[in-house]
Amino acid sequence: MVDKLKEQQAIPISKVQRAAKFISTGAKVGGNYVKHYAKKMVNPSMDKEELHQNNASDIYNSLSELKGSALKVAQMMSMDKNLLPRAYQDKFTMAQYSAPPLSYPLVVKTFQKHFLQTPEQLFDTFTRSAINAASIGQVHQATKDGKTLAVKIQYPGIAESVSSDLRLVRPFALRLLNMNERELDNYMGEVEEKLLEETDYILEVERSREISSACGHIPNLKFPNYYDELSSERIITMDWIEGLHINEWLNTKPSQKSKNQIGQALWNFYHHQVHNLKKVHADPHPGNFIIQENDQLGVIDFGCVKVIPEDFYEGYFALIKKDLLVEGEELNQIFFDLEFISDRDTAEEQVYFKGVFTEMIDLLGRPFHSEQFDFSDDTFFDQIFQLSNRITTDKMFRQSRQARGSRHGLYINRTYFGLYNLLNQLQAEVDTTKPDWLK
Amino acid sequence: MEITTPKKTTKKDFRKLILDQYRSQVLEYGVTPKSVFKFAGDLKMKEEEFYSYFTSFESVKAAIWVNIFEDTQKQVESQDVFKTYSAREKFLSFLYTWIEELKKNRSFFITLYGEGQKSTIVKTKETSEFKERFKDFANEIILEGKETDEIAYRPIISDRYDDALWLQVLFVLKYWMDDRSPRFEKTDAAIEKSVNFAFDFMGKSSLDSFLNFAKFLLQK
Repeated sequence: MVDKLKEQQAIPISKVQRAAKFISTGAKVGGNYVKHYAKKMVNPSMDKEELHQNNASDIYNSLSELKGSALKVAQMMSMDKNLLPRAYQDKFTMAQYSAPPLSYPLVVKTFQKHFLQTPEQLFDTFTRSAINAASIGQVHQATKDGKTLAVKIQYPGIAESVSSDLRLVRPFALRLLNMNERELDNYMGEVEEKLLEETDYILEVERSREISSACGHIPNLKFPNYYDELSSERIITMDWIEGLHINEWLNTKPSQKSKNQIGQALWNFYHHQVHNLKKVHADPHPGNFIIQENDQLGVIDFGCVKVIPEDFYEGYFALIKKDLLVEGEELNQIFFDLEFISDRDTAEEQVYFKGVFTEMIDLLGRPFHSEQFDFSDDTFFDQIFQLSNRITTDKMFRQSRQARGSRHGLYINRTYFGLYNLLNQLQAEVDTTKPDWLK
Repeated sequence: MEITTPKKTTKKDFRKLILDQYRSQVLEYGVTPKSVFKFAGDLKMKEEEFYSYFTSFESVKAAIWVNIFEDTQKQVESQDVFKTYSAREKFLSFLYTWIEELKKNRSFFITLYGEGQKSTIVKTKETSEFKERFKDFANEIILEGKETDEIAYRPIISDRYDDALWLQVLFVLKYWMDDRSPRFEKTDAAIEKSVNFAFDFMGKSSLDSFLNFAKFLLQK
């Protein structure tokens, strides 16, 4: 009897078990490489895409069993499309739709803990099963006083497991992202901080309200109302935003005019946040937006908000100016400030990295260089993809002894590449506004 | 706890008095009372009077376990939604509520069964009545699960499912006693995951196909 008990104890929660999961995936990925090279000997024309495909599904399978923060990391990696080969991206974007549902008794218990009432007592109606899964929680639909509400409930124990989950992902991400260790630590540190913030629902409500009221004047944007009396550390209640996800909406074959209107709303939303508020919704993945009737764009998730420090902002956007006025020493200084290069680099390294980053910033800044930009232009995205491919495979990067690019840059790059990707998905042509000092 | 039960007779009151006194002595002094004589004296009771309610301190502890179980059962069954639950959800609901009830007495149980004494929960007679009552409750759930095909009928093994659920109760209890996470959220996660595992195991699965296949081979 005692033995049996031990067995049960080991299965559901032990860290060893989760670690083993990663190791077995690691082994599988290794196996895929072996298979790849074996096949390649027979058929030299086989490309790496197939290998990535195999790796992606193994990695995805193990990540989807892990849930929680690991899932979140998968999502983040899927966001950084510039970082990941195509095959990984497709799999990872699936990750956000397949978290395990919380049982209804646990939902009830969570409500009782925070409100001393059951969902039935608190709302007029409340769906028994989740309507949507979020990475660290799930969404139920409820009604109260004639209003339809979305109620987001967080999985218990997520906040405590963030750090240990990230440690588990680490060796794995090292391989997957082709980063060197220092760079990864930098990345993981920032990710951990953001993840912990994301588990704080009170903070999320606060920020949602702050940003939505600051962006309320932008045309064609819709934000839900948030209800404090029905929200807590683990539960958020807000208006239910009726509409379609971007993919679904695109399937309805909207007109180019509609696509441009949505694209423009999206652009204006980010423009205002980055340049005026200096606080940005740093998670522009399709799941966070809903398209409503009359081509209105609903923004529903403010879990990840990045505050942009003033000095970082200036340096970063100074580089985006079309006719780069800064040169020589001044330019060097900006590169130093943004941590692209450092004193520890050799002269050769400095030249090399400056070259790569100038190229990257040139790409990132291209939409800013004209009054309008057509994001349906796939050649632009191919260039981005090729550059990042080159970066991840280049040995100068892999052997580099330090992290490149400041931590803030991580989220700003992610935000912009995410935004560009959304606009590309929308095939939208947008007036690319910029602040006066950048003109 | 007891407060909610209406006073019926004075006899009931003495019972309650003893239970309350026992709990508060453990909480205050951090040790269990050792002498019935002294304990009864504190209550201004004769020792033999004590024995007309309980035969030993062990049976006092047993009564506390049973009380908590009864309170839990009453609570889950009073929720309208409980009737509509599947077997899995009923059991989950029971465990979540039970842990909440235990929480009200956490210090008491930690003093009794903390550090190095956890194994005594399984061995002693203190929990045996609770165990019987729990098994009755669990068997109802299991029967219901079998009727709705949520739980697979398997010769011999399925008669022991109530034991398996009891082990799960002990597992959750141990986990909760060691849990240091805020609001005991880790315990919630442990309940969720372990119950899902248990019910997945009890449900129709490849195991049944295997048994079926094995039977087929043996019959040949």
